[in-house]
Amino acid sequence: MYGREARQLVKELSSGENGQLKAFNSDMVDQVTKACSVHHLELQSLIRKIQEEGLDTQTTRNADHFGALIHHLALIRNKRCLMAYVYNRADSIRNLRWKVGNVLPQEIKGKLSHPEQEYFKNHDTALNLYMSALDLDLTVDFVPPKDPYIQVRVIDDIGEVFLSDKKTNLVCHSIHFLKRNDAEQYISQGLMEELMG
Amino acid sequence: MASGSEEGGTGIQIDEYESLISTTDVELLKRAWRHEKAAPEILQYEGALVQRIREQIQLMVETVEEFAESGIDPLTVSLYEMDLDRTQFLLRSYLRIRLHKIEKYMIHILKTDLWNRLSEQEQKFAKRCTDDLGKHLEQSVLSRLPDGYKSLLKQSTASEEDDMVSEPQLDTFVICKSKRDLGTFQLDDSGGVPVELLAGNLNILRYKSIKPLVESGQIDLV
Repeated sequence: MYGREARQLVKELSSGENGQLKAFNSDMVDQVTKACSVHHLELQSLIRKIQEEGLDTQTTRNADHFGALIHHLALIRNKRCLMAYVYNRADSIRNLRWKVGNVLPQEIKGKLSHPEQEYFKNHDTALNLYMSALDLDLTVDFVPPKDPYIQVRVIDDIGEVFLSDKKTNLVCHSIHFLKRNDAEQYISQGLMEELMG
Repeated sequence: MASGSEEGGTGIQIDEYESLISTTDVELLKRAWRHEKAAPEILQYEGALVQRIREQIQLMVETVEEFAESGIDPLTVSLYEMDLDRTQFLLRSYLRIRLHKIEKYMIHILKTDLWNRLSEQEQKFAKRCTDDLGKHLEQSVLSRLPDGYKSLLKQSTASEEDDMVSEPQLDTFVICKSKRDLGTFQLDDSGGVPVELLAGNLNILRYKSIKPLVESGQIDLV
């Protein structure tokens, strides 16, 4: 059946848990692109056949015309599925920049294809350029603030850092009372967790 | 009688207070933010407002620092800080929502007059984004497709229009409230019942039908 592999690709998108990326299915993408080339060859040979019979390709409505049409439509459908697959993954990749910051964790990086990793870097640059032109960091302050300070527990050794008001030693498992802005970057990197009252 | 006139007095005060409050820049930003959040498409960038807010934030940062140095009651300082944080959140969130919309509909924005609604920096960002995405799709898919099917914007050379570009859903429903009576409106061409838009009434309508009212600032999205 034409287009079955392409459908698999799109299904893979929707079966993942919200926003969670699966490994880039390059085998399937290869298969679908190959199927596209096959459709194209069939399409061309049918059109050639129509021409050889001395008929007008624009107006002929015989079996060969509809055969060619089927190949054309199958090709377009495959293209849409391929594009949807890559486009929606690109969407998730852009969201990663907001969620995990500009360094991709190894386990996510392994799931991206090479062009996707490149895309992440490029998009990161675009965003950084925008933020530095504005001189405003947009990757902090994700939740409406209730209190300027929050209580956090350090879950990885961060060491001594300069926060906006003082120098602090962030040792693993220590609990701190920090400015939300200062803490947020560490929380998104998974180095700290917020302690809820 | 006496109590009645007193109530009337405070009523007027509250009205005045509300109209005064609703014209502060923070309140205007809140409104712009709410609109941007609710509207499916990107709205006009509030450049002058953002500029003013950023100056005010700068001023507040300085005030807070001054207070902290001069040893004013920590509670007062922390109240100022809270206010500052809220304003900063609003500003960041406003700009972020816009960026998300740009990321989502960049190709559409780039080829329509929505382009003029972006700030200069946003335009640069959108341009870069589109180039990057275009390159990525080209590399991953388009370059491997047969001739005639390589276009980013069209399904094939047989398509007359650009039929591969995702556009915002303008007929999605939004919740809106008008400040003044706007009279009756014919919402769409299908000949449905006209809706009367009264001051303070909450309506759930299709964005498309009230789009001009949102753009001219006659109606608020909530």
